[in-house]
Amino acid sequence: MRKLSDFLIAAIAGLCALVAAGILVGLVFVVAQRGLPALSWSFFTEQIRLVGAAGGIFWNLIGTIILLGAAFVICAPMAVGLALVERVWLRSNTARRALRTVLYTLNGLPSIIFGIFGFIVFVQWCGLGKSWLVGGIVLALSMLPTVTVALIERLKAIPAAYVEAAAALGLNRAQIVWAVLLPQAWGGLVTGSLLGLARAAGETAPIMFTCTIFAGATWPHGIKDSPVLTLPYHIFILAQDSFDPAVGAKLWGAALVLLVLVFLLSLVALPSRLKMHEEANV
Amino acid sequence: MSEPCSTSATPQSAVANASVLRVRDLAVFANGKPLLRNVSFAVEPNQVFGVIGPSGAGKSTLLRALNRLTDLIPGLRVTGDVRLHDQPIYEASVDVNALRGRIGMLFQQPVVFPASIEENVLFGAKRLRSLHGSVRHELVESALREAALWDEVRDRLRASALALSVGQQQRLCLARALAVEPEVILMDEPTSALDPKSTQAIEELILRLKVRRTIVLVTHNVAQARRVTDWLACVCLRDGAGEIVESACSDAVLSNPQCREVIDYLANAP
Amino acid sequence: MTRAWSWFFSFVALATLAFLVAIFVWQSLPVWHHEGWNYLTGTKWFFRQREFGALPMIYGSVVVSVVALVLAAPLGMGAAVFTAEYLSRKPRLAVKVLIELLAGVPSVVYGLLGILLLRNWIYELFARFDLLSGDTLLTAAVLLSVMILPTVVTLSDDALRAVPATQRRAARALGLTRSETILHVSLPQARRGLSAALLLALGRALGETIAVFLVVGRQDNNLPERLLSLRPLLESGQTLTSKLGSSETNIGYGDPLHWGAIVGLGLILLVLTGALTVLGTGFGKRSDA
Repeated sequence: MRKLSDFLIAAIAGLCALVAAGILVGLVFVVAQRGLPALSWSFFTEQIRLVGAAGGIFWNLIGTIILLGAAFVICAPMAVGLALVERVWLRSNTARRALRTVLYTLNGLPSIIFGIFGFIVFVQWCGLGKSWLVGGIVLALSMLPTVTVALIERLKAIPAAYVEAAAALGLNRAQIVWAVLLPQAWGGLVTGSLLGLARAAGETAPIMFTCTIFAGATWPHGIKDSPVLTLPYHIFILAQDSFDPAVGAKLWGAALVLLVLVFLLSLVALPSRLKMHEEANV
Repeated sequence: MSEPCSTSATPQSAVANASVLRVRDLAVFANGKPLLRNVSFAVEPNQVFGVIGPSGAGKSTLLRALNRLTDLIPGLRVTGDVRLHDQPIYEASVDVNALRGRIGMLFQQPVVFPASIEENVLFGAKRLRSLHGSVRHELVESALREAALWDEVRDRLRASALALSVGQQQRLCLARALAVEPEVILMDEPTSALDPKSTQAIEELILRLKVRRTIVLVTHNVAQARRVTDWLACVCLRDGAGEIVESACSDAVLSNPQCREVIDYLANAP
Repeated sequence: MTRAWSWFFSFVALATLAFLVAIFVWQSLPVWHHEGWNYLTGTKWFFRQREFGALPMIYGSVVVSVVALVLAAPLGMGAAVFTAEYLSRKPRLAVKVLIELLAGVPSVVYGLLGILLLRNWIYELFARFDLLSGDTLLTAAVLLSVMILPTVVTLSDDALRAVPATQRRAARALGLTRSETILHVSLPQARRGLSAALLLALGRALGETIAVFLVVGRQDNNLPERLLSLRPLLESGQTLTSKLGSSETNIGYGDPLHWGAIVGLGLILLVLTGALTVLGTGFGKRSDA
């Protein structure tokens, strides 16, 4: 009897794992299967024509890359600053815990909230209109917790012995930061940023009011009223009106490219993620 | 105090198969590398069989091989023959969980479940048979009495076991193991983590327990071995793997050790 | 200098956040003045008639998220039991990495799959109920459940692994089978972490905008009479996020009252997800200085 339930429970758990894995892998497979036919050299290098029924996603890719670059540049200093403040400059435990709580809460905020915030403050009040810079700011805010937490974890992992040795040599805290902590934490910044960028690349909600349009933009020509085309928004608009079969294949193609972009960004961060998991006591 | 021993180096039993546990050519490999080799011995009923030796020699591994806890460690492979009452335990047909009900184990660090004292005592016993009302209560009382803990906890059986002192927790673990009614109890350095008073309590317990059960005790405390064991097997490292270098009646080993490693060990050990 | 820059950048980040919350409160003031508590309890949303009741959307958000959790939790926790208790180190790492990868699938891709596949399945599956379309609260809930599945699995797996191996070993040494150990040692001792996992997954479901927007039907004022029945799941609805993602957000900007109503929805969302996240992380983590 006990043997039977032992077997049953193992079977149920295994089944759940199989179904869960199957669903998730299955959906990637569906996207790949339907999107692959649309991929071609021209798909990547041409711009959209005929409202998505022809042409390619060149400017959408460019726009997404511009946004990601801007997001990284804006986010990195803030994340490093926050991580250093939490690890090095703040002495009181309650303050650090409060900071971490703020970070975790931020992490759980829906991205559309950031989008609306960006819309109000930058698009309207600052008069920037729909602009790639606003998109970068909004995306930077949404990835801030991810990057900061990754940095903090990396800083925590630096053996105290290094810091002690440096302190014993007479370095003050700022010097220790530059000599010991930052060089080691660089990897954490890269990993965290890649993960944050992977998530940001797929976001539609924060960018739809702040920086992206469906068609008609190429290189941004300044900061004010300089929207860009983006992959996620492109898919979003077309998905709502998908009765034209010619659009269909290209839509799946765009989705596949977005998926691959997100996966690539995550995969590059993989080796350090694996190491972190190992260290965190598998 | 241990019993006076016979002069022969190997135990004589009226019938060779009366040994409770018989081990022949046991070897344990971790990812291909041998941890233990050529281990053979027999444990007689109602005996306290001691296993001593330096750290890292493989004593704990040896103990775990006796109730197949080695199955749970990935990469470990066990070869050889281990028999409980002349029934091999390393066969595919053996119900391992029932086996562990017959061969209980006490660990070095007391591992108490985050539940009440009563729940802890019954944790293993509950799975073997349904316990209701008075039967439950009797089992709890008898196990706690046998573990010499009853008087200290009788009026707070529902209290959390985590509130007990380390010495009490170890006795609780013993009560828990006893509630399953094993014939053999394996003890892996059960007093290393305890203060002298608790150590003494456990040692007295062991001497009382052996009347009805058989005990295999791993210890690196030679004085303890002297006080408590009837038979001693010494496990030392030879060529990188643990082997039994001497196995004889406790008095014989402690007063007149044969093997060089054992002599060194006894000279340096606490 | 380093210290000054660190504090400066931190200040910028934190100030922006405080500013964000302040803005949501401030910009939504008009609607609180206009409607008072009726904003939260009113069942009709007709912006042209200046009537703003958010209850149908709160209902929509809650129903869709809770059903998603109900669907995802058993499957996800079962899968986590498998990865945490039955897999050895290397396969477990591989699976964890795979799941983290899949957690990154963008919501617009899910939305696409919802529109082009799920919507039709639901429509056909429930044909005898005479659905108007496949865009229903149930569709959104099912889509969401797949989206939060990786979160549930990863966090539950972490919670189970946090139970010390010595506890499991002690149970096995007493003769408990593996599944008995899971049921009576691992799961009970992982309770806190598992609850945290569910809370965080719920928060994620509540905040999801794009995928829900695409398949929920975006039907206003559809609050059912009997809140706890199952039939309304098969109708189109509206959630806080689907309304926020709609064109009303663009239209509403010029009019303080309408805009206030829209931002107010964002405020409600902010409070709900914020509370769930704080609860979830409070539960799961112990202080780590």
